[in-house]
Amino acid sequence: MAVISERLLKNDTIQEKVHVATLYPGLEVFVFPKKGYNKKYASFATQFGSIDNSFYVEGNKNLLEVPDGVAHFLEHKLFEGEKGNVFDEFARKGASANAYTNFTMTNYLFSSTDNFEDCFDLLINFVQDPYFTAESVEKEKGIIAQEIRMYEDNPGWRLFFNLLGCLYSVHPVRKDIAGTVESIMDIDEEILYKCYRTFYHPSNMALFVVGDLEPERVIHQVMENLEHRDYQPLGEIKRIYPEEPQAVRDKCVREKMEVYQPLLSLGFKDRNVGFTGRDLFKKELASELVLEMLFGKSTETYNRLYEEGLINDQFGTSFVAEKDYAYTMMGGETPDPDKLYQALLDSITQYIQKGFKEEDFERQRRKMLGEFLRNFNSLEFIANNFLYYHFRENNLFDFVSLLQEMKAEDIHLRLRELFDKDYHSCSIITSNGG
Amino acid sequence: MTNFINHTLPNGINLYIYPTEKFKTIVYSLFLHQNLKRDLVTKTALLPFVLERGSKKWPNTQKLVVALENLYGADIMSEVTKRGERQILQFILEIVNPLYVRENGELEKKGLEVLKDVLTNPVVENNGFKESFVNREKQILTNIVQGLINDKVSYAVERCVQEMCREEDYGVYRLGRVEDLPNLDSSGLYSYYQELLNSAPIDIFVLGNVDPDNTMALMEEAFNFPRGNIYEMEPTLIYKEVSEPRYVEERLDVNQGKLTLGFRTNTKVTDDDYYPLLLYNGILGAFPHSKLFQNVREKASLAYYASSRLDREKGILLIASGIEIENYQKALEIIQQQMESIKAGDITDDELDSTRVGYINQIKVTEDSPYQIINRYLGGLISGRQETEEETIEQINRVQVEDVVRVAEKIQLDTIYFLRNKE
Repeated sequence: MAVISERLLKNDTIQEKVHVATLYPGLEVFVFPKKGYNKKYASFATQFGSIDNSFYVEGNKNLLEVPDGVAHFLEHKLFEGEKGNVFDEFARKGASANAYTNFTMTNYLFSSTDNFEDCFDLLINFVQDPYFTAESVEKEKGIIAQEIRMYEDNPGWRLFFNLLGCLYSVHPVRKDIAGTVESIMDIDEEILYKCYRTFYHPSNMALFVVGDLEPERVIHQVMENLEHRDYQPLGEIKRIYPEEPQAVRDKCVREKMEVYQPLLSLGFKDRNVGFTGRDLFKKELASELVLEMLFGKSTETYNRLYEEGLINDQFGTSFVAEKDYAYTMMGGETPDPDKLYQALLDSITQYIQKGFKEEDFERQRRKMLGEFLRNFNSLEFIANNFLYYHFRENNLFDFVSLLQEMKAEDIHLRLRELFDKDYHSCSIITSNGG
Repeated sequence: MTNFINHTLPNGINLYIYPTEKFKTIVYSLFLHQNLKRDLVTKTALLPFVLERGSKKWPNTQKLVVALENLYGADIMSEVTKRGERQILQFILEIVNPLYVRENGELEKKGLEVLKDVLTNPVVENNGFKESFVNREKQILTNIVQGLINDKVSYAVERCVQEMCREEDYGVYRLGRVEDLPNLDSSGLYSYYQELLNSAPIDIFVLGNVDPDNTMALMEEAFNFPRGNIYEMEPTLIYKEVSEPRYVEERLDVNQGKLTLGFRTNTKVTDDDYYPLLLYNGILGAFPHSKLFQNVREKASLAYYASSRLDREKGILLIASGIEIENYQKALEIIQQQMESIKAGDITDDELDSTRVGYINQIKVTEDSPYQIINRYLGGLISGRQETEEETIEQINRVQVEDVVRVAEKIQLDTIYFLRNKE
């Protein structure tokens, strides 16, 4: 009764497989056997990230709006149980535990070589047993304030969020994941419980385990745990995002910081959004291929800018796509951000006119396949990425077939829509001159 | 750890092969050792930057990268590290195990050909490295060294080490000094590189799904260049009495204060006290269950991070924490109380046992990463204490509270470095 469905996902190129079970009341459990590894890595994640600050659950009339930084704050507080700090219990078993929050999810994890079943129980239990008190919530504010202060002094982080703040006018992706020192002061235990009850329902969560393990046993262990918990089905969670205009908010933002060289990040707001599943994954791969062919280390542009002294080998590009928003960013340290800004825009214009060579496309495809394969050495990569893609209704293994099926015209199409000059912004950090 | 097959090439290069089917890739890693000296450090550091720009067969970055991308995104990476008073250049080639891409076995050979050409066949003009490469890479290196200030967390730790070891070679940054760069020219640098290839101790590791005999033959062919006498590596200065701790303050335009403390442990990796020292570090600050995390962060809410780390090859211990600037005194007091409490033997069974199992876990997971397997074995070669996983675990299990107290008494505060705001 407790198992709703079971399936096996395989990939012949990577030569790996993953067992998946959906358990009542809707929890997805993945077990990825990795023979010969000493480490076992488990993560328990919920689709609750920094952008989810306005929501209600089907059947409830009241819209709940919460202070910025709640998802991250909750992540910190969940480690505190009624009997003490959960970190300490993992430590006693020789495991190392951690968690992270990003825009769309919160992920709790541990790795251990011994005592897997005990540690796994601990993980499943602490995530399902919240214990928030007024006193402990107050105390956490000092710690998180220092975490925020640390990022305030980090130029790369400031560069990134300044750019998001330029690209987006109202969407919460423009806000720092941890919130601000001011916003977290409004958080109390009641708010945490309200968020917890909505987003930590098993139907909004997934468990991923990787290591030299028997899938049936792991799945059984989760099943037994859930059976005693008397969960009722939750309605659909409705996340409310403000209507984001297509236009960017600002053209450019500059900040002075204690840096040696200025930093530039150029961003394009992708207006073609609303994709999920394979379409979203395909769009992501196509975008990455475009960026590699335009600015990768084997391109004429990269090498020319490097020779001219405008970029160093930390120059990078990225594309991020969620259902409701997507953006491209590129940049790095540079002695002359304004010159680099213009040079990047010019290269893009020329490239769109010229198009790309078939052989470059084939080579990048090969390279991406090799890099993808290489990542399967890492249990952390496997778990974190499987969950991330799962929450976007993708199967990470599809990477291989999508890459193989990609056609030149997909890339041409993507190239033209990825960079629209009317929808770009830039962020610059300059030295405060010492 | 016993799986390494050791073989010395005719020219004195040490080869270590670790056949395993566990990973999707094959890793080739070459280490070139140099003594860490103030007058050598910068030119040694500059070498990989120049070498990675191109070789005779692939004469610029673009051609080189194209060649590697064609090999399923094989990667040639280099790394400059400082381990005790030695500077190590590492060149890595990582390629996909050909089995996964149905290549006919040429992948390894082609990858090695690129690595070999980069290392032994640089682009030469007028008896020197290519001038334009050298000039550009000097700029790049300047930017990296000066750019250290961008990341305040690591900047504060590095500055503490520099201040603490200002009279030792160890006080110099792993990538050298900006002021040396104008004096380096391409022909001088090239002849220095020839000298290194001729007489530096070199270790090459090969790890992955490889056949040992086949690999030995491949490597003998790839690295067959003649070499002369190999120079000796000098020992690292470890033991140092501190008469009075020194306080160093630096003011920058920052929001958060960074408190960093540097200690002399007066303990070497080959000393009997090494494992007690390791446990000391774990009890003090290497884990979330450690005293620093528990007291500075969890109890006093003063910091997001407060931890200690042991620089085992140099025998120094560093404590780092990011705090509100006005909390300097409070944080310092709590940190010192934690160290005093260890000295007084105030260590619970829980603290000792959690630290033990924490380190044992770390040692076991080493086996799951090609780079960590190599790094651990290299560490054994450098320190002269090569132990198997079982031997290491046994020694960790043997440490008792009184051993930790004994090493605690040898640990001396040398430098307090505080990075704070401008007024």
